[in-house]
Amino acid sequence: MAQLAKAPIAKPVKRRRWKGDGGWAYAFIAVALIVYAMFTAYPVISAFIISFQEYRPLGSVFIGFDNYTSTFRDSLFWKSIKNTIVYTVLTVPVSLLLSFAVAIMILPLKKGLQTTFKAVYYLPAVASGVALSVVWLWIFDPMTSGILNQFLALFDISNQNWLGSSASAMFSLVLMAWLSSHGTSIIIYLAALLGIDGSYYEAAELDGASFFQKLWYIVIPCLKPTTLFLLVTGVIGSFQVFQNAYLMTGGGPDNATTMVGLLIFNNAFKYFEFGEAAAQSLILTVIIAGISLIQFKFLGNDVEY
Amino acid sequence: MTRKMQVLASVLALFMLLTTLSACSSKNSNSGNGNSGNGNGGSTGSEANGNAGKSEAKDTITALLPPVSGNYQNNFAQMEKDFNALYPNLTLKIEPASWEDMTQKLDTQVNAGSPPDIAFIGSDGISKYVQQGMLMDIKDTATPEMVSDYDPAPLEYMKNGDGLYGFPAYMEVHAIGGNKEYLEAAGIDWKNVQKNGWTFEEFREAIKKGVVKEGDTTKRYGFVFATSGVTAKDYLNILIKNAGMPASFNKDLKYAYTSKNYLEVLKAVRLMIDDGSMPKELSSVDAGKRWNMFLTGQTMITGKGLATFENSANKNNEKLKANDGSAVQGSIPVEYIVLPVPTFLGQEPVSSTVVDGYVTFRGKKEPTAEHKANVVKAAYFLASGQVAATTNNDLFAAHISKSGREAAESMTIDRNPDNVAAVETLLSHANPARPDIPVELGAKAIKMEDEVIIPKLQALLADEISPEEMYEAVKAAAIKNFGEDGIVND
Repeated sequence: MAQLAKAPIAKPVKRRRWKGDGGWAYAFIAVALIVYAMFTAYPVISAFIISFQEYRPLGSVFIGFDNYTSTFRDSLFWKSIKNTIVYTVLTVPVSLLLSFAVAIMILPLKKGLQTTFKAVYYLPAVASGVALSVVWLWIFDPMTSGILNQFLALFDISNQNWLGSSASAMFSLVLMAWLSSHGTSIIIYLAALLGIDGSYYEAAELDGASFFQKLWYIVIPCLKPTTLFLLVTGVIGSFQVFQNAYLMTGGGPDNATTMVGLLIFNNAFKYFEFGEAAAQSLILTVIIAGISLIQFKFLGNDVEY
Repeated sequence: MTRKMQVLASVLALFMLLTTLSACSSKNSNSGNGNSGNGNGGSTGSEANGNAGKSEAKDTITALLPPVSGNYQNNFAQMEKDFNALYPNLTLKIEPASWEDMTQKLDTQVNAGSPPDIAFIGSDGISKYVQQGMLMDIKDTATPEMVSDYDPAPLEYMKNGDGLYGFPAYMEVHAIGGNKEYLEAAGIDWKNVQKNGWTFEEFREAIKKGVVKEGDTTKRYGFVFATSGVTAKDYLNILIKNAGMPASFNKDLKYAYTSKNYLEVLKAVRLMIDDGSMPKELSSVDAGKRWNMFLTGQTMITGKGLATFENSANKNNEKLKANDGSAVQGSIPVEYIVLPVPTFLGQEPVSSTVVDGYVTFRGKKEPTAEHKANVVKAAYFLASGQVAATTNNDLFAAHISKSGREAAESMTIDRNPDNVAAVETLLSHANPARPDIPVELGAKAIKMEDEVIIPKLQALLADEISPEEMYEAVKAAAIKNFGEDGIVND
């Protein structure tokens, strides 16, 4: 009896627990968690610590809030924030509108044609950004031989110094954004459009609704969660924009296209001021988080997921 | 989930995790020989540490090298073999890098505390790495024979303060280059200019004569210099050196670009565009574009010009002669003529030079004396004798070491003798190195150049600000950085 009482009855329970899907779930989540901890959480914590240091490979020095105060006093930092906001305001809404319009146009097509258009629009996302920039540099060639300038010549307009003038450099980068990289948004919009129940359209047609009425009263409300998602991710991506300015203008002329991402890159990898770059990155994080919260508060009120 | 699927999924998850962890591991697969990097106590490994003091102890020296010349990277295997034949106990391990990757790769390794033992970089990058404490001072390790092998001027560029941080590979002059046929058509006595130089006023008149127009359209400019992005820095730098400002700081360590002469150079920059001798779109002309314009006959003179451009022009001429489709589209046969940069305000000519070389790095731990000596041997091997002679001949660059000159004697090179003489003349008044400028001052000046001077110059070239506005902006930034007493007030 005593032996029976001492029998380890807990063991089978443990094995059952591990054998169940719960155990496996923890194991698989652990992989993602470890990767997240290593490549996201650790760098963020590390950046936070470095932002209070003067970083040196042979031993960093703690300098308190100096990196933050010098950033707030740096007129170039504020100019870069302003440039980034201008770029975001000009690119994100237009990109959403274009993606939405293209998705609406692709929707009625047969599946094969839909897939072809999706692939065509997604192609720039697969192509190398550097290769695309080379093509755009060719388009924006300032001499009369430049493609865009040749187009203007048809209307008797003299050649423009697209990337070399403060008046047109930002517009040139915006134009680049308008005419490329909508593939992901188009695919997401298409998926959402296909998810709208056909009975809504049938009911609207019975009531004699026009195309635009269906768009306004059915499509746009049903796509609101998708639009909010694309808007938030678009703004976040736009605030982190770096490649176009780096490859096309280098931030010039007269810092007219210096985005905050480029400024952080320069401080870190050009001047080795990792402390200041880390401080600026964290300030940027706070700004992005703030804007995202505002978007959710004002646009996400009546969104149902 | 079936048992098979669970096992398969867990194997995949484990594989993913191991891949991630191994990618993050600081020990790479090459560290088995104990020589993965920088020659500090750790990198030379237990074998080298165990034999410290023994001159025949095995050691590996790593070098990160870009394609210095067209054939340079093809010779890596031979260079490694030759070095090993010279020092049987030593292994030279060369890691190739493209020019585009070089800085990023090196900077990443430096900031991780594990740079290569040797890297090929411009001497202007030395102060940046000295400031980080990651360069290895070799003045106590380089033998007198090694040091005396080099011409003094280029060797000075490898110094910072009292330290010597490597050996120079070459010293090239930043000049300008002309199309012989167009120069002669414009009545320019280019041989005289090569020997005696020219003033800005003479240069301005000469480039006006080089302009060819058809109606309102300019078919050929007198002068086109690459100024897009960072190349703007080269343009201004070669001009101001000839206006009495050879460095950003004068001998008293006062910031020099607040001098009135600076304003005069800025006015000259604008004048050449306003004359129509240079394109109004100059601020967007990059290095590739202006070379294309030179080869296609759209400009009489181009800049910056390096000696190797003669080689590039000759190669294109050969392709045109052979009807080779890879010749530059629309190009014409061009005879490249080396020309000096004009002087301003009666100042003496000072040639802008670029000295690149093999710079020696250290890791987080102090390198052993033995490994340090081995790194110096490898750096000297790369920067002298046969290797230097072959590389410099490829580049049409002048030889700067006795051993390099001797090795080059047996090599033939097809160069225009007038250009060779012109480069020699330019090198005779090469801008001297300034190892006395403290790294902190130098770093501030570089940042000011990137954040104020280049952006303002781009605006000046685009006719968005006046020379006076740019001068005031530079002066204000200089006062902010160096104080009222830290700048030149003339």
